[in-house]
Amino acid sequence: MKRRVAITGMGVVAPNAGNVPEFLDALLSGRSGIGPITVFDPASLPTRIAGEVKQKLPSLLPDRKIAFALEAARQAMEDATRFGTRPGGAGALSLGVGLELFSMDDLAAREHGAGPKLVNRAARLSFMQTPSDLCAHFLSQAHSLTLPPRVHVSACAAGTDALGNAFRMVQSGRAEFALAGGTDSMINPLGVAGFSTLNATSTRNGEPERASRPFDRGRDGFVLGEGAAFLVLEPWEAAVRRGATLHGELVGYGNSLDAHGISEPHPEGRGAAQAMQRALDDAGLSPAEISAINAHGTATPKNDPVETLAIHRVFGEDARRIPVMATKSMVGHLISAAGAVEAVASMVCMNAGWLHPTLNLDDPDPACDLDYVPHTARRMVQSHVLSSSYGFGGHNAAIVLRGAEAARARG
Amino acid sequence: MIVATGASGLVSAGDVDIDPTVYLRARKSRKYMGVQDELAVVTAGRALASARLSREELGERAGLFAVIGYIPFDKADIAPVLAASLDGERFSMSRFANGGFQRAHPLLTFRCLPNMPAYHVSVNFDVRGPYYVTYPGAGQVYAAREEACTALAERHVDVAIVFAVAHQRNFLVEHHLSRVEPPVPVSALRDAGACLVLERDESARAAGRTPVLALLELEQRYHPHPPLEEARGELESFVGVSAAPAESRGPAALLCALADAVASGQPGRVEHRLRARDGVEARSAWQVLA
Repeated sequence: MKRRVAITGMGVVAPNAGNVPEFLDALLSGRSGIGPITVFDPASLPTRIAGEVKQKLPSLLPDRKIAFALEAARQAMEDATRFGTRPGGAGALSLGVGLELFSMDDLAAREHGAGPKLVNRAARLSFMQTPSDLCAHFLSQAHSLTLPPRVHVSACAAGTDALGNAFRMVQSGRAEFALAGGTDSMINPLGVAGFSTLNATSTRNGEPERASRPFDRGRDGFVLGEGAAFLVLEPWEAAVRRGATLHGELVGYGNSLDAHGISEPHPEGRGAAQAMQRALDDAGLSPAEISAINAHGTATPKNDPVETLAIHRVFGEDARRIPVMATKSMVGHLISAAGAVEAVASMVCMNAGWLHPTLNLDDPDPACDLDYVPHTARRMVQSHVLSSSYGFGGHNAAIVLRGAEAARARG
Repeated sequence: MIVATGASGLVSAGDVDIDPTVYLRARKSRKYMGVQDELAVVTAGRALASARLSREELGERAGLFAVIGYIPFDKADIAPVLAASLDGERFSMSRFANGGFQRAHPLLTFRCLPNMPAYHVSVNFDVRGPYYVTYPGAGQVYAAREEACTALAERHVDVAIVFAVAHQRNFLVEHHLSRVEPPVPVSALRDAGACLVLERDESARAAGRTPVLALLELEQRYHPHPPLEEARGELESFVGVSAAPAESRGPAALLCALADAVASGQPGRVEHRLRARDGVEARSAWQVLA
């Protein structure tokens, strides 16, 4: 017997907001978090803009994504426990996380025999390479999560995979609750330069807020973002019993492999369509029951038309009816955190009765022919939102979220 | 019941050419492969062959469940970038931005990414089902196995390819492991990869494939700990395999030992005990059925 899985806590640290209420406000007012890079001097790199987190967070190690994760997870657990009790039983962490922080300064220092003295463990663990799994152990320890952590490294799909995996664990009874989400920051010299050499990132440096242009004819690549988001998942019955806030449900998950290109999606959107179809099948929903889609929507020339094609394949005639939002138009591409941040965006907008806008969609690409909610937020009652993420290497993941009202209506 | 119908393992002290060419659909793709990718493709290819499973039998009904070692950026790839980005002995952002970063082929970045072994296995063996890609601890192999078994039991897949790879004879990984407490000497580090092909017992037998390995018992615990306040050494031991490794094979250790046991052709019991650096503790027992 599969259990219903409630969402009882949410937390977010994003380029345009430091918590969930701020995030909803930023999303609905179309506030971009993208600006010039300030966390390091990008000199004359082709891309000099990004979606940086503006909050100053206490940091245990130089790796910013650890601080983002600790703050977003703290918010999510605080939200889930605001009425006094905590989810019971064995908890699991399911974390989508980005690459290990590897600094060119450290490498240069090591080449010349220099480097920090091994004065403490932080020095041992942060010079040359800060292993990303450290973040999982900080989180598990901070929130007394006693099941072995699940660390997902499926690139841009990792955040959605983390949520989907946690959903399966709670649904099947393998975990009594889960803290699930993603964290990332690749706004560092190697990260920004690496994507630049692939011509993957926008070079619209003169107008940062207009640079992330999903589905627009003038798009020229994604804008890197950074941040973290977490959800607390637990069995619906248990959540009701302890009087937790019921934000909604996670009702379906699917993922797939393209088995096609190392840096480009399957031209017919085969893997993306498969992941979405699996999520719908898992949720037991038909395309007609989906109110809206939160797209991967990177604003790369290749992703957006293929994603549009995949939506057509799965949703058929419903595709033109279903509004499609691209959160990345406001926050950029948070890589391993993207799916988690976009899940929070989907939930809060659905529960508020709004679709957030896709910014900068001034001149839609003819190959992108869906309703992308351009420019301004739109009122809409929603019951289910599908949120999808697609990664380099052909990793595709999708989840289906049910809003609070629709979830409560099911009893 | 879930059983293994194929197994393969490969261990190198960094001195073996792990040649995946025979399994590649496009030979030129090898230049985008790092050691972890090569280990994944070779061991998956051999494990699938030992299970007598062809590429045509995989597709959407086959899934990948992978554990990858610490990120091994190749020094040969990064050295030209660094050399062109120095101002004296210091890294210069200006020099880096004015050409240093372009000294590496853009796609070579992919040689170190942790999801790339799964990509190379998927594209070369046409695996299009669900996946689970995790990293980097020795205990994570149990999570990958659990996800594979769940996917099989819930019939999301008919074949689960479970593999673990670690490129540890790599300057970044050697550096990291020499600084953790207690340090792991470079001389103990091995590049290692191994793969098990898992299926439901009844469907494997119905297809004429022979089970070679089954899990008998498993206990797992996790001790959340503050990584900056408490150092945990790693203890790993095996009973029932002749080549009990006195070397570090990273997350591939268990699957390598099981593959060795299957390759021996002798029925028997293998036990694994692990107290991992990351707080995972596990004890498992396996039956070799060959």
